[in-house]
Amino acid sequence: MEVEDLGHHISRRFNEDLERVRNSELSMGGLVEEQLDRAIKALSDGNSQLGLQVAEDDKKVNRMEVAIDEECSRILATRAPAAGDLRLVIAIIKTITDLERIGDEAEKIGVIAARLASVERPSTNYRELRNLARHVKQMVHGALNSFARLDTKGALEVVKADNAVDEEYESIYRQGITFMMEDPRTITRVMDMTWMARALERIGDHAKNICEYVIFMVHGKDVRHIGVKNIEAEVEQGVRRVEGT
Amino acid sequence: MTLPNRWFSQLAALAGLVVAALLMGWWFGGPGWWLAGATLIYVTWMLRHLYLLDRALEGQHRVPLFETRGLWAEIFARVGKLRAKARNRKKRYHRLLREVRESTGALSDGGIILNADHEIMWFNPAAARLLGLDPITDIGHRIDNLLRQPDFVAYLKAPTGEGMTVESPRHESGWLHVQIIPYGEAQQLAIIRDVTREKNVERTRRDFVANASHELRSPLTVISGYLDSLGEGSDMPAAWREPVTEMRRQAERMTRILRDLIELTRLESADAVAPQDFVDVVGMLKPIVAEFQGRPGPTVRLALETDAALLGKESELHSIFYNLINNAVRFTPAGGSVRVIWRVEDSSAVFDVVDTGIGIPEEQIPRVTERFYRVDPGRSRATGGTGLGLAIVKHALQRHEGQLKIRSREGEGSTFSCTFPKERVVFRGTAAQAVL
Repeated sequence: MEVEDLGHHISRRFNEDLERVRNSELSMGGLVEEQLDRAIKALSDGNSQLGLQVAEDDKKVNRMEVAIDEECSRILATRAPAAGDLRLVIAIIKTITDLERIGDEAEKIGVIAARLASVERPSTNYRELRNLARHVKQMVHGALNSFARLDTKGALEVVKADNAVDEEYESIYRQGITFMMEDPRTITRVMDMTWMARALERIGDHAKNICEYVIFMVHGKDVRHIGVKNIEAEVEQGVRRVEGT
Repeated sequence: MTLPNRWFSQLAALAGLVVAALLMGWWFGGPGWWLAGATLIYVTWMLRHLYLLDRALEGQHRVPLFETRGLWAEIFARVGKLRAKARNRKKRYHRLLREVRESTGALSDGGIILNADHEIMWFNPAAARLLGLDPITDIGHRIDNLLRQPDFVAYLKAPTGEGMTVESPRHESGWLHVQIIPYGEAQQLAIIRDVTREKNVERTRRDFVANASHELRSPLTVISGYLDSLGEGSDMPAAWREPVTEMRRQAERMTRILRDLIELTRLESADAVAPQDFVDVVGMLKPIVAEFQGRPGPTVRLALETDAALLGKESELHSIFYNLINNAVRFTPAGGSVRVIWRVEDSSAVFDVVDTGIGIPEEQIPRVTERFYRVDPGRSRATGGTGLGLAIVKHALQRHEGQLKIRSREGEGSTFSCTFPKERVVFRGTAAQAVL
């Protein structure tokens, strides 16, 4: 009786540990989302102060990554989790790396936005960039939501959305080349815009990675580098298995 | 207590049975056997009724009973009554529950019930619509995992009565007001309201005031300029001297009002929290007080009990100090006194302005920080106030996480105290003072 009680107690503490680290990971996600949001706002409002503030606040994201990383190592070392618990810890370790990179890209966007604030704005006020940013923001939001809900179908939607984002980046890039050929005076600005689009496109890729970890965590299938079609098949199979049992 | 009738008849039946058995025993011989037989019949009869009762309690249907009187009929009737009552009650609760559910469903404000771990226990359709929650999958999830804005997460950990405003997770440039109300045993109710419209109206109003003041400033500059050169020229007819002087005074006042309006809108639209620049309060207070000491009116004295400095925005702190002293001086007649005190209390810094002026009626104290609110309209205008001073103080102080306390008694004077939290106070220690 007593032994059983003890065992129960340990597993409860263990559950709490896992739950806590998962919560910290998601609040880090919330912070990264806000950073991205503010970086885009700095661009559309031409607010250089906000852009620099975003760059400054990236330190917070970095600190969170280190703290969560440590917590995960501690769980691995002291609890030796297995199966689903192990997959959760691994997924968190990988996700925070991608979140940190998203934070870095947001920092980059903030710095560029601060620089662009002091030059003449195009008449569209960077409509293409804002459009791309909106899609990327939705991807990050969707990726973190699917992590919170363990929702692999939602994750699949985000993975699919990445193609559209890549295409949008491509067209901004080509448009930029045209602008630069037409008028070399715009080169500095268009280069900055291209860098920003590039950063956004990278954020989309990181969001996609997070979704792949969600699928790995829930179904135990590694779906990296196998193409959207195969990912879809794996998710369907996984969902069927969950519903079947 | 008398025995109820039904028990009497039951006992009578038992007695009759025993007597009959004994009679038969006396007639045919072997009364013991007869008695045993009679008992067996009685027990069987009882058991049968118990069986029926058991079935009646177990099942939903009525169990037929072939008696209309006596103990058992009575018991069955009572059971039936109890069940009917229970059924009615259940129906009533069902209806009530459905009504509650329908009415909460019809609410335009979102409601979410959270447990002690901030896990979602229940939410209404409006909450699902406003936050994008899924009624099937999201029950049991922690709300801060789904609503991840850092501001909201911080609010969730330490909810205040006023609630907070967050950007809508579903619509760009949409705003939601969230208020968390604890109730019961560690349960919490989150009320979510769409405030996009209010936010927009508020912004339109602010922009309008800001634009209008800016637009009015340039024509006013021209008018004041010409009035100044007119007033200083010596070739003006005597009849015009007085009107022009008055016009200059009014133009100057209008400039002051516009300046305060612009300052106020700037304070309102700036970030919620002021930056943390080092501000030497002592060095700031001395020239302000000296300026007022040079004027006619009440005596102004400065008491520096500490040399603590503040972390904040210099121009805004200057506004706070200047406006409070200016206010006190204007409402204190000549011969009275205004004391300005800079002191430390419980490791926070306090700025007091104590005057012996006309005071504020108690019921009006909460309203004096409203813009353009005047305790005594005639008097205030006569002393040349803009009506915005205390509103500016309130907003600037809020941005420094400070608090304004007003104590006043009509005819005796008022005390305005600003308390700055210890996070914003820098103590320079007695050593530094000794060197100085």
